[in-house]
Amino acid sequence: MSVEFAHAALNRRAFLRGTGACVALPLFESLRIGGLLAADPAVKLASSATGAPLRAAFLFFPNGAIPSAWWPAREGTDFPWSRTLKPLEKHKAHVQILGGLGHKTAEAGPDGPGDHARGGSTFLTGVRLRKSATDIRAGTSIDQVLAKAYGHLTRFSSLEFTCDKGPSSGVCDSGYSCAYQFNFSWSSPTTPKTPEVNPRRAFERLFGEGKPGERQANLQRRQQEDKSVLDFVLDDARAMKKRLDSADRQKLDQYLTGVREVEARIQKVERLGRVKDPQVETPPGIPSDYGEHMQLMFDLMVLAFQTDSTRIITFLLAHDGSNRSFDQIGISEGHHDLTHHQNRKEWIDKVADIDLWYVQQFAKLLDKLNQVKDVDGKSLLHNSMIVYGSGNADGNRHTHANLPLLLAGAGGGAFRTGRYVKHSSKPMSNLFLSMAHTLGMRKLERFGDSTGPLTDV
Amino acid sequence: MGKWLFERTWQCVRRPAWPIVVLAITFSFSPTMGAAPESVASYRKTVEPILTKYCIGCHDNDSKKGSVSFEADDPASLIADKELWLKALKMLRAEMMPPRGKRRPSAEQMAQVVDWIKYSAFGIDPHDPDPGRVTLRRLNRTEYRNTIRDLMGVDFNTTNEFPPDDTGHGFDTIGDVLTISPLLLEKYIAAAKSIVAQAVPTQPGVPPETRIPGQRFSPANSKTPGSGDGPLVLSYYKTATVMYPFTAPHAGRYQVVLDLSANENFVDGQFDYNKCRLIFKCGDRVLLSKDFTRQGRKPYHFEFEQEWKAGKQDLIVEIQPLTPNERQVRSLTIQLASVTVRGPMAKEFWVRSASHKRFFPGTIPTNPQERRAYALKLLKPFVTRAFRRPVDRETLERLVNLVESTAAKPGQSFEEGMAQAIIVVLASPRFLFREEVTMPNSTDHYPLIDEYALASRLSYFLWSSMPDEELFRLADQNKLRQNLSAQVSRMLADKRSGEFVRNFAGQWLQSYNIDGANVNAFAVLAREQPRDPKAEQMRARFRELVRKAREDLTDAEKKELEQARASFRNGFRRFQRFNLTGELRRAMRQETEMAFEHVVRNDRSLLELLDANYAFLNEPLAKFYGIEGVTGKQMRQVTLPADSPRGGILTQATFLIITSNPDRTSPVKRGLFILDNVLGTPPPPPPPDIPPLEQAARGGKGKPPTLRETLAIHRKAALCSSCHNRMDPLGLAFENFNALGRWRDKELNQPIEAGGQLLTGESFKDVRELKRILTTTRRLDFYRCATEKMLIYALGRGLEPYDTHTIDELVDKLEAAKGNPSVLIRGIVESPAFQRRRPLARAEATTE
Repeated sequence: MSVEFAHAALNRRAFLRGTGACVALPLFESLRIGGLLAADPAVKLASSATGAPLRAAFLFFPNGAIPSAWWPAREGTDFPWSRTLKPLEKHKAHVQILGGLGHKTAEAGPDGPGDHARGGSTFLTGVRLRKSATDIRAGTSIDQVLAKAYGHLTRFSSLEFTCDKGPSSGVCDSGYSCAYQFNFSWSSPTTPKTPEVNPRRAFERLFGEGKPGERQANLQRRQQEDKSVLDFVLDDARAMKKRLDSADRQKLDQYLTGVREVEARIQKVERLGRVKDPQVETPPGIPSDYGEHMQLMFDLMVLAFQTDSTRIITFLLAHDGSNRSFDQIGISEGHHDLTHHQNRKEWIDKVADIDLWYVQQFAKLLDKLNQVKDVDGKSLLHNSMIVYGSGNADGNRHTHANLPLLLAGAGGGAFRTGRYVKHSSKPMSNLFLSMAHTLGMRKLERFGDSTGPLTDV
Repeated sequence: MGKWLFERTWQCVRRPAWPIVVLAITFSFSPTMGAAPESVASYRKTVEPILTKYCIGCHDNDSKKGSVSFEADDPASLIADKELWLKALKMLRAEMMPPRGKRRPSAEQMAQVVDWIKYSAFGIDPHDPDPGRVTLRRLNRTEYRNTIRDLMGVDFNTTNEFPPDDTGHGFDTIGDVLTISPLLLEKYIAAAKSIVAQAVPTQPGVPPETRIPGQRFSPANSKTPGSGDGPLVLSYYKTATVMYPFTAPHAGRYQVVLDLSANENFVDGQFDYNKCRLIFKCGDRVLLSKDFTRQGRKPYHFEFEQEWKAGKQDLIVEIQPLTPNERQVRSLTIQLASVTVRGPMAKEFWVRSASHKRFFPGTIPTNPQERRAYALKLLKPFVTRAFRRPVDRETLERLVNLVESTAAKPGQSFEEGMAQAIIVVLASPRFLFREEVTMPNSTDHYPLIDEYALASRLSYFLWSSMPDEELFRLADQNKLRQNLSAQVSRMLADKRSGEFVRNFAGQWLQSYNIDGANVNAFAVLAREQPRDPKAEQMRARFRELVRKAREDLTDAEKKELEQARASFRNGFRRFQRFNLTGELRRAMRQETEMAFEHVVRNDRSLLELLDANYAFLNEPLAKFYGIEGVTGKQMRQVTLPADSPRGGILTQATFLIITSNPDRTSPVKRGLFILDNVLGTPPPPPPPDIPPLEQAARGGKGKPPTLRETLAIHRKAALCSSCHNRMDPLGLAFENFNALGRWRDKELNQPIEAGGQLLTGESFKDVRELKRILTTTRRLDFYRCATEKMLIYALGRGLEPYDTHTIDELVDKLEAAKGNPSVLIRGIVESPAFQRRRPLARAEATTE
């Protein structure tokens, strides 16, 4: 008799088939936990009109986009697809192109250079970052505001992903801490939410270790063990905090926040019931191919939404200022270097090709979300709101007005999709405010530098 | 004091006047706003006349060059502007100001200004300088890994398991930015469990176990068994049968464990459809028959339960290719890692594991009272070491209670209780953070840290790990300070100081980054070949085609795309031997580390880092550099030929590659690196809106301009010149080294000129002369830069104006000792910044 550990019992549901191609994830309506939320009149948060969960995701691509290749020539519902956005044509019914939104707080202002750092951590916070290599201060990002409001509904209040392995050493952008560039989700102004880069670890965190069928038990055992650890270290941290001064207490607060979050998750599992094992093979570690890596993370996003493990995901595809080369499409120069193209046509073309490559990847995420049916019979995509954008508009000039932005998903039917809308110079924070309202946080009056909710979404 | 002000460097461009900035400055300095009357008097008497004579011509309120003005109606506010004085100090010392050609103050006048800035403007008391404030530091990934290794004897790969640490000032030891996110906290708990599972034996006895590495298997017909401890590589494409003759000592139940992985050499865009079948047998019995397709380094683990008689049990692995007609593209292989035989499983054959003996010395008492005492006896020294200071009774009691309550659960043992207690210790903030305590009853203005804290500062500085037994013992006896010098010598001589070399030099000189450096050898070397319009055309067409969705391509276009791919592959192959393989990158990183280590271990002058007649090479790296006569893979010191341009970190591949773009060199980045990391006078970052220079740069018809030409045009713009005049000559001196760090005489069919002149006046005609300048006339700049970097790394914080005196003293010592690093390391360890802390209350009053 033999026991096989690594070999998937269900090969047909393997994460990857062939190179770079991901299989469509099968429908797991049975995976949902808790049933229809609308049945509970107290829960209006983060659900669509039909009572299905409403999800929000925020994806960040680096270095802006070539404006002339990104923006369609005309506004309205009948716009011609631009060179860069063409891959989204088939998802027109679920996509809105948002023009005119920007982040004033990311502009140089009194702080001088550092547009990549600012582009990164201003993107979801809408605040001016403190310019410092060590004394970091941003704001609470929109995903975390949402996570605090309805994170209690799901096992994970939010998930953070990246395909960027982070800085190996050295100094980042112009006197700004690397934390600003390699994180874009912030749970407090001083605590960045570290994103997970490893698909395997991300999967195990969601569904447990081991092969299909064993994971539930493993996850449960782990949480039991964690409880006694948490009790002890909580006391330890509290006692230690008393001995420290205010700046050091902040560090202990970060530690305590983490402890409480793990604790809360254990309680949530007890309250919400256990997660079902998706019965797919655990994905491998970090693939060497960038596109393959990204698709794996997309698969995890879909799984997390599908199983209602979370309703909020942020995904930093690469940090702003990323200088990756794209040999797979014949571009050997670094992305960031190319964006300072000095108006050379050849370079502009290459940057536009990279922008296009990112959109092609994103289109595959939409494919996946569109193929999965939600509890209300609509697609996951229909019941989602997904922001795809960059913290710089024109990477050459480091501008932050008219950022390249898309809103995919219909927000459960709340959004008027299939359009290109030019909003005349408004803070991007207004969009976040509208999203928060759609998700049920009607009382939120302000976010970041918002001036009011964005109408006409 | 607002730290951010100190962070900001001076601007080469005029900053928009923002009323808010002015406000911020005023507020941040409000504590010192009204400068003491005596400093106003001393300013008027000694400094103002010198400024008026040499500086005010450009730096008055009208000209305000570089947005610096020394003109003020109220000298008190001018005196209080520490940022301004720090800037002035740096510019004076680097001889950047007054600029060349203008009258300069005498040495005596310089000294007067410098002293006034230090002792009046900065208010430093040289006899009791402010030691600064180090934010509570958590262990970074490297320190965690080393500490776990020294404490638990387990190598836990934090690079794979933890998210990367944020860095500040170029180092990952900075308390302020070492944050803990909820994700990291989860990972700490998971890590503690996995480490304890590896280290703490929870079963007193285990079945005997034999691990047979793959290389011990040999072809079935061979008479001799294989040797070696590595995995055995078997191709998908070839039939093979290998075996190992195992002998079962007793009859009984056994467990056989097969570990292997399926591998490929990735080839982009081409798929390998080959399959093979792997059959694993014991004698004639087939235990496993499984088909393998392409897999990228995927591990497999199989376990089989067997009932064996005593005697011979041949373990056999067979490979059968299944697809003889498929193209073999990716060198698919099965790596047979090992077969492990566990058994017999019957308890009578079990052995007490060595680790159990080590962890649980003697016999574990059965009487509850004695057991408690036994647990306490084991835990006390462990927890003391883990927390790096004596542990209180109450904590120990709580831990022992945890041992008992865990052991009392059904099916749990005493050992499991101990394991749980150790998990808790490793997840505790007292393990993860380095809490520092000052000497009890100290009445000093800035008290000394206690000896345990000192032991940790020392060991994390020089070993990136926890203190060892000797440091603990000395701290226990309160004798560490007495023996400080001897301990530093001992620690530097210890091989653990290799961590200092790797982590400090690796980050300072950025050799860390070579692993991830993105260089396209093909693109780099193509710049040194005659242009090939046909290839360029094909490349453009290729990019046009990949832009289209695959389903939109016509068959002809698909074919064209395939051809283009094939042609690139050929092109790439031509340059393949110049590709930066893992082996080569490793050698490059070692070269830099060994150069630094050589200087530190042998206490050679730090100047040898910049200029030396030797290098550290192995055969692949020497060949890559074009240096003859080095054979073998072993890295060793090689004396360079007299006319070699190599020698010193600036002609090492690490520096040359890290500062390049993926396809070409970047003299600007190279110049910037030198200003940042060698001369210590970093220019301000570039302005956000870089003016286009393409029109002017398109010189001759269709001929792309050389980098030197492009940069010369760039420097003409006033906006750019003040910084690029400093960076470009430094960077252009290295143009003979391409983006791979290889020597070249031409680029784009143009001969390379490497000569130039520094802003401080020294001219040079090639890189060798530049190195000479750096080690002679600019020597003090380098000493200061090295001192600042090492101080930041050692203290775990950025430097502040009040550190100036400490830095000056260290630089003086270094100069007197002709650059011996031991003087610097000792000086740092003995400095008040390393030895003392601000008292708690005071620290609170001065933050925020």
